[in-house]
Amino acid sequence: MDRIETTDASLDPDPSQTGFAIPNDTPPSESHADHHAEDVCPEDPSPDRYPDTQRAGTASENAAEAQARVLDADVQKEEAVEFTEPVCPDMSESDSGKVSGDCALTDSGQDNSGEFVVALLTRAKLEEQGVGTEGTPSPLSEDGIPVRASPHREEDISGESWRQHRKHVFVLSEAGKPIYSRYGSEEALSSTMGVMMALVSFVQSGDNVIRSVYSDEHTVVFMQQGPLVLVSVSSSRQSEQQLRDELLYVYNQIVSMLTQASITRIFENKKNYDLRRLLAGSEKILDGLLDLVDSDPSFLLSAVHCLPVASSFRDALGHILQKSITPNLVFSILIAKNQLLTIVQERTVLGDARLNAADLHLLLNLVGASSAFQAGEIWTPICLPGFNPDCYFYAYISYLDPPECTVCLLLLSTDKEAFYAVAECKRKIEEAMQAQNALSAIAKAQFYSVSQVGVSDLRHFMYKPFDVPDNHRQLTQFTSPEMEAPYSNAEERTRLLDLYRDMHSRVHSSSRPLKLIYHVAERETLLAWVTGKFELYTCFSPLVTKACAINAITKLLRWVKKEEERLFIRYPPKYTTTPNPSKSSRAGKGGAQMDAADNGFLPLP
Amino acid sequence: MHAQRKMRKPDIKMVILGDMNVGKTSLLHRYTERSFKDTLSTVGGAFFLKQWGPYNISIWDTAGREQFHGLGSMYCRGAAAVILTYDVTSWQSLVQLEERFLSLTDSANGDCIFAIVGNKADLTDACARDVAPKAVRLEEGDESDHLECPTPPHTPTVHKQVMREDALALYNRIIHSKVLEKRTSPPAEDVCFETSAKTGYNVDTLFETLFELLLPSIICTQTQVESPTVCLEDYEEMKKKKPVCCT
Repeated sequence: MDRIETTDASLDPDPSQTGFAIPNDTPPSESHADHHAEDVCPEDPSPDRYPDTQRAGTASENAAEAQARVLDADVQKEEAVEFTEPVCPDMSESDSGKVSGDCALTDSGQDNSGEFVVALLTRAKLEEQGVGTEGTPSPLSEDGIPVRASPHREEDISGESWRQHRKHVFVLSEAGKPIYSRYGSEEALSSTMGVMMALVSFVQSGDNVIRSVYSDEHTVVFMQQGPLVLVSVSSSRQSEQQLRDELLYVYNQIVSMLTQASITRIFENKKNYDLRRLLAGSEKILDGLLDLVDSDPSFLLSAVHCLPVASSFRDALGHILQKSITPNLVFSILIAKNQLLTIVQERTVLGDARLNAADLHLLLNLVGASSAFQAGEIWTPICLPGFNPDCYFYAYISYLDPPECTVCLLLLSTDKEAFYAVAECKRKIEEAMQAQNALSAIAKAQFYSVSQVGVSDLRHFMYKPFDVPDNHRQLTQFTSPEMEAPYSNAEERTRLLDLYRDMHSRVHSSSRPLKLIYHVAERETLLAWVTGKFELYTCFSPLVTKACAINAITKLLRWVKKEEERLFIRYPPKYTTTPNPSKSSRAGKGGAQMDAADNGFLPLP
Repeated sequence: MHAQRKMRKPDIKMVILGDMNVGKTSLLHRYTERSFKDTLSTVGGAFFLKQWGPYNISIWDTAGREQFHGLGSMYCRGAAAVILTYDVTSWQSLVQLEERFLSLTDSANGDCIFAIVGNKADLTDACARDVAPKAVRLEEGDESDHLECPTPPHTPTVHKQVMREDALALYNRIIHSKVLEKRTSPPAEDVCFETSAKTGYNVDTLFETLFELLLPSIICTQTQVESPTVCLEDYEEMKKKKPVCCT
């Protein structure tokens, strides 16, 4: 137990973390510049997720750092003037009036930069109001991309409701071409995205990398991945790192559809390529992902939630998958009610490689987004970025219980041509499951209620163990009961998730990581505890005492230990589909994992 | 469902190609599920097995998105029929057929049958709009009715960009470029359709006509891979059902 931090009954996260509670009269000083160098690292495109080096931090340091994070505010302030002219030549007095209303101003340089962005974004939007939305062909429509009929896409980006969205996500190319926007059409947003790109390249020209901008209501996080720039504009009060992780999911979902290698190649050939040509039709997949990211804690914990079933039953299912194989089959995954039931993987070719939780999330999201026509058997290339970002697997997706479509079988092969062989595996699996009456047993599988734990005052929890045997070869998993009253409606659920996210960000804060947090909020009390063996987030009724909560956690841990077999996949089974690897022309020359997936890319224009 | 369905072996393969958003999935959905619903963009390709009388016809519903273009030839390999689909309200979608999709069909069978289908006819032709009950009646009638279904009169509501003549011309170009024998390939009038997945207009006619045209090839493939054992069930069914199309 490292430190118990008690906060008063306030729902607001620690103001020192949101980065705007900085004394107005603090001029940017030398020490800020030092921090700046630490945080704004030009050479490091992929920041460590949870840095091992736990920097000791004090509150003031924290604040200073937050300020520094907004880049060299001074420089930006100076440049902003220069910069504004070419981008937005006809800025009127009324525009700036509106802008200052958007963002509470202080004298600190940091807030100025926040204002700067908001100003530019607002301006771009005003411009579009006149141009983009009135059917004037934008320079982007030349590729003849059909207009998509989705309510989000048609949303008027000049409307107040567009601005009110909790979290915007934009993806653009280095040339400033829009690729994706969560709300509103990309065409209409082309000048807004142009401004974002201008910000990115302006900072880049100073040999630096823009990472985030804080205003009092929004956090803007920038992330560059190869030729793509991803931007999150959020009022969710999540930490920068959390937003960054979410952007990484978005990037990886795009990679899962195109592979990193082909994205790189496309932009090497043609810098201003319109990637929407290739992603057209996939917006729903990204929309779905972002909705999941907002509502499913699996993404926050980067862990997979398993459907609880008796371990003997899980083993039986694993056994069925293990027996129904064909050459080049590498993963067999059974999903029920959108949760993992069991996963079996190839042994010889994959070796110790494992499917990581993030890849599985992307897969599950794809399954959810492609379920429109559930009678058919789907065969599609998919890249698993965590496994190998440059190669495709071929995924066979089929539901075992039409028309309900809750039990889904996912078979991944490395052979593009293996559809019929893999489809045959499905028939075998289907037959074996019928023989064991497995489908009805799956239908009976339930999520559990927190009342089963038998700890009073405990309302909800999320438990992510690290001590699973063989854990380096294991899928990261977590367990959590259903959210029940008072968290039975969407609004309350979001509120609880927000509290969890806040706890999570403090536990994993890079400047001041905590091991134990006891947080008394307005309507509940939360306790987060991280050890070398697990990560645990609990939610109690507001009247619980500290001693009582700690006592409850002991009981909870005991219960989880007892139920472990049912809650987690303990020993994922394996099979060998290539007894003689050299026999297969496509997979496994020598059994290296890269070779396993090395079957070329889709030819691209 | 009969026991033999377990060992469903497709007798013949059919592929639906076309640009995204022309309604490939909706056409197939209308035909197999008898309904129209909003579909999501197809990922990769979806495989369906349609029982047509005693025969199993596999249908590949492919994604129109450029992203999956590379898979096209894999789906087309060994196909006995290719349905090239366009949207009657989009000239571009017809152009795409020739520019992007035709080359994929190189891996199809040499005697592959092509069909050109203009979907979304309900948007441009009044006759296609509420034809659904009629289509059902037609389906129950005998085959000759199907083939004689008249083209809808031209009373456009949305601007029709692709005329039937354009589709016929495209078909003739395809036959010419593929050096298929004019004699053996069906005449353009028989295999160019204007359909509406939304109302069901011409959808059954399309599939049933193609199946009829494929019948010789199906029988041919069946005799080629004639197994020493005779499936009595198949034989009986064939006797009973042969002249009637499935429902």
